[in-house]
Amino acid sequence: MKKLALLACSVLLILAGCSGKNAVEEGEEISIASAATTESAITAYIVKGMIEHYNDQDVKMINNLGTGVTLHQAMVNGDANISTARYTGTDLIGVLQEDPMKDPKKVTEKVQRLMSERFQQHYFNSYGFENTYAFMVTEETAKKYNLKKVSDLKKIADEVKVGIDTSWMTREGDGYKAFAKEYGFKFADIFPMQIGLVYDALAAGKMDVILGYTTDGRISSYNLVTLQDDRQFFPPYDATLIATEALLKAQPDVKETLDKLQGKISTEQMQKLNYEADNDLIEPAIVAERFLEDNNYFEGGK
Amino acid sequence: MKDMNTFEQFFYYLSENGVYVLSQFFQHFLTSIYGVLLAALIGIPIGILIAKYYKISNIVISIANIIQTIPALAMLAILMLGMGLGRPTVIVAVFLYSLLPIIKNTYTGIMNINRDLIDAGKGMGMTRSQVLRMIELPLSLSVIIGGIRIALVVAIGVTAIGAFIGAGGLGDIIIRGTNATNGTAIILAGAIPTALMAVLADIVLSLIERKLDPMKRQQKRTA
Repeated sequence: MKKLALLACSVLLILAGCSGKNAVEEGEEISIASAATTESAITAYIVKGMIEHYNDQDVKMINNLGTGVTLHQAMVNGDANISTARYTGTDLIGVLQEDPMKDPKKVTEKVQRLMSERFQQHYFNSYGFENTYAFMVTEETAKKYNLKKVSDLKKIADEVKVGIDTSWMTREGDGYKAFAKEYGFKFADIFPMQIGLVYDALAAGKMDVILGYTTDGRISSYNLVTLQDDRQFFPPYDATLIATEALLKAQPDVKETLDKLQGKISTEQMQKLNYEADNDLIEPAIVAERFLEDNNYFEGGK
Repeated sequence: MKDMNTFEQFFYYLSENGVYVLSQFFQHFLTSIYGVLLAALIGIPIGILIAKYYKISNIVISIANIIQTIPALAMLAILMLGMGLGRPTVIVAVFLYSLLPIIKNTYTGIMNINRDLIDAGKGMGMTRSQVLRMIELPLSLSVIIGGIRIALVVAIGVTAIGAFIGAGGLGDIIIRGTNATNGTAIILAGAIPTALMAVLADIVLSLIERKLDPMKRQQKRTA
């Protein structure tokens, strides 16, 4: 019996050793968290490639997390100290619980200040592309109902099937509830699903209207029509990365490396990268590696 | 890409991303192996112990049974609350799932040894540890390996689900396939190697199991 108690104690000790303050939290080890979108994976591998190229350090990856808010949780819990891609609009509303704002510059400023104050996290300047929500339809549907703006959807709101991202349904501030209030109509048939499925659902004719992301590579591959957000409902979603201040303090040269990425990826470029991964079946890890090699790892800040 | 059928896409994907798939394959395999080894390290001694004190065997085995009934996704979610994201959490989940087959097989292996052999050993003046090392363990080894074999096959499946909490491995490729335009080929590129790994692990360990079976060894020697 004594042996058994000893054994139980040692098992508990092993389990206890796994938790507690770790090297990631203190910034000695680097761990990147990314969400389950292609774009998030590509930018995460770009960041990984940059750090491995300039700082010669092993980087841990935590892929396939749910949403931007989950990424934030991973950073607060000390599982990761860099996360990408983060969007200013999502963080303002989802993480910081502030009211939506429309001016991109003001949003960036506010998010940068509050993330540092509340969570001791450094919010980098944008990669240079924006990935906002947009309603999309196929070319045929656009022609049939003469759709150009989001307001045009009002007249067919009762008869169309609408595919949306699961998180948008319940999101506060810029979610479905607020949308219905701003535009003054609701959809009769709404189908929340994983964001990756909406484009296929639209192309296959299962859905009539979808809410997708503007940088998705499938927009061009399926010839989708993006409806203009005529009431400026969706806040700006400039894409960027976040690192904990603990990491940047422990390793200042990592900050230098990450600063090189500011303003280097345009929306068209991101669409192209997404297209390579989504349509040409190339893994995000390889897409990112080729992208960095083509751009010579942004040597000399060019 | 649209002019290719799923089969062609699958091979195209492998030719473009072969190195990546291979690296995920090994990561997946290692995650499973770590968990199973850890379980063997702790489960085999527990199995031996409950074979000696068989009054507690019921309690230990029913605890292991209860662990086994928790669905993998729920287990990962519960562990994630305490341990956070990433590979260590999945390794612990694999460890917990591996406990039952390993403990149970060790226990069964030792309990099924012919009592006469142990009595003969004791009669020769063997100490308890000698009986364990020279009679009980060698004779039950093939049954214990059988337990590890079951554990490893389950572990490979659990690790695939581990991709949801950021552990990497082949599950990563499967999840990505659900996000891509022509995802079927990518899903297959993640699923087929996973299945292959499970089948290979099963075959290799069953060969070892058969080699270690004392009855077979004896037949060979007499032949």
